[in-house]
Amino acid sequence: MTLLIQDEYPKKLLRDDGKRLDGRGKTDLRPIKMEVDVIKNADGSAYIEWGNNKIYASVYGPREVHPHHLAKPDRGILRVFYRMATFSVFERKRPAPGRREKEISMVISECLEPVLFLELYPGTSFEIFIEVVDADGGTRCASTTVAALALADAGIPMRSLVTSCAVGKIEGQLITDLSGIEDKAGESDMPCAISWFNDEISLLQFDGKMNRAELDESLNMVRNAMEKIYEMQLDTLKQKYIQIQEQNEG
Amino acid sequence: MMDIKRVISTIEKNYIKNNLKKEERIDGRGLWDYRDFNIKTNTIASAEGSSEVTLGDTKIITGIKYEIGEPFPDLPNKGVCTIMAELLPLASPLFERGPPDEESIELARVVDRGIRHADCIQAEKLCIKEEKCVYILFVDMYVINHGGNMIDCGSVSALSALISSHIPEGKWMENGPEWTGEYITGKDIIKDLPLAITFGKIDNILFLDPSLPEELVSEGRITMSVTEDEITSIQKSGAATYTLDEIKMLGEKSFEIAEKLRKELNFWQYSTNKK
Repeated sequence: MTLLIQDEYPKKLLRDDGKRLDGRGKTDLRPIKMEVDVIKNADGSAYIEWGNNKIYASVYGPREVHPHHLAKPDRGILRVFYRMATFSVFERKRPAPGRREKEISMVISECLEPVLFLELYPGTSFEIFIEVVDADGGTRCASTTVAALALADAGIPMRSLVTSCAVGKIEGQLITDLSGIEDKAGESDMPCAISWFNDEISLLQFDGKMNRAELDESLNMVRNAMEKIYEMQLDTLKQKYIQIQEQNEG
Repeated sequence: MMDIKRVISTIEKNYIKNNLKKEERIDGRGLWDYRDFNIKTNTIASAEGSSEVTLGDTKIITGIKYEIGEPFPDLPNKGVCTIMAELLPLASPLFERGPPDEESIELARVVDRGIRHADCIQAEKLCIKEEKCVYILFVDMYVINHGGNMIDCGSVSALSALISSHIPEGKWMENGPEWTGEYITGKDIIKDLPLAITFGKIDNILFLDPSLPEELVSEGRITMSVTEDEITSIQKSGAATYTLDEIKMLGEKSFEIAEKLRKELNFWQYSTNKK
């Protein structure tokens, strides 16, 4: 029990001027900051600040599989562990992983698997550890985006990057990139991810209500948003090599 | 990219040992020097206090959360503070998934004892109504990168997170606790500044703040938590043994080093003024 009760959900999620509570237009993203190579011990790592979300991801692999019976003789395996810190949410989260964390780990893993060449690494595992240290809506999208960056940072062969973002509906209006409050008080939420090598959707969940036309429109909206985020991912990776080059020349 | 294994190559081991004999460290430090501390506080919006501390390559994020609950029957007017540490498998190939292992429990307990026995937290200020209602503070430390000496990094991290904390102030009303609209801040609850000071031992040579390669070579370490004038906890771990004179010498060194560190880090600058 805490003393404060989380503010009652606001009745209105759109202001009179049509903007959202945080001042964004309907298709605006929250500010996003990405960085790679942030955890020295890892084979690859990345960090993302997406609005108030703060997430670390690190990649280890290819390495030996523990426990051994999970190893596959003809291919490598990918395992994703999405976790939230106890202090990342309003009410302290219990330290042990819950059902939600396990489900999100699974959908992220399934969405990243198609871009890897697992068949080239029989008997090994790739492990991605994701730690959400501060959460404010859309952590699974931010986690997927940052995990793809960490894989690329590890130099693991990939068919392409993966990018993720959500669309949803508040007060009957479609919006991109839901914040925590919009996610909880809004009418629907649809996280998506795209693998760029085949231009196909590799993560898709939805809850809420919408009609056929809205589905078409939201898919277009989310694709536009993901294109913007993809550019940021590429820039972040390039930036790392530019820095290395500058260091060597300097 | 650094390749860390449980074992360290003989050649690196000898290199570290031979350098130490000449009173030199592989990273260029003197025997009694810390690596650089870097502290950021209130980085986590969802927490009631937080810090992000790096010590060389070691990085720990600590967050404070609170709950309201009943006090222990034998301490009816005192709040409760629990310290937890998680060695995230993200931070090092040496860490495994699963429930807390010995190493993370030791980290949490050593930091906890250092803080608890120093009367660092004034637990009676965390009481809303005697025998009925007190605060339970959770200080949760997450190791993001393991570069050696997690205990000292954790102790600075826990302390700076506590100092940066801002907990809604409760008042006992007829049917339970209610928020007064004010906050209890770190300044109100923290009295002393206990610091954990850790020494490594390799071949009878003692040195401050072992880095990860040094930790892998060393036979053991000893941690002393000190306030301005008292030792509040000691933890010897590993197979190394110490002469009485060595322990006395380390005791004295701890005070000296802690005083310097307290000045350098200037902890009170991290207190918040949220009212």
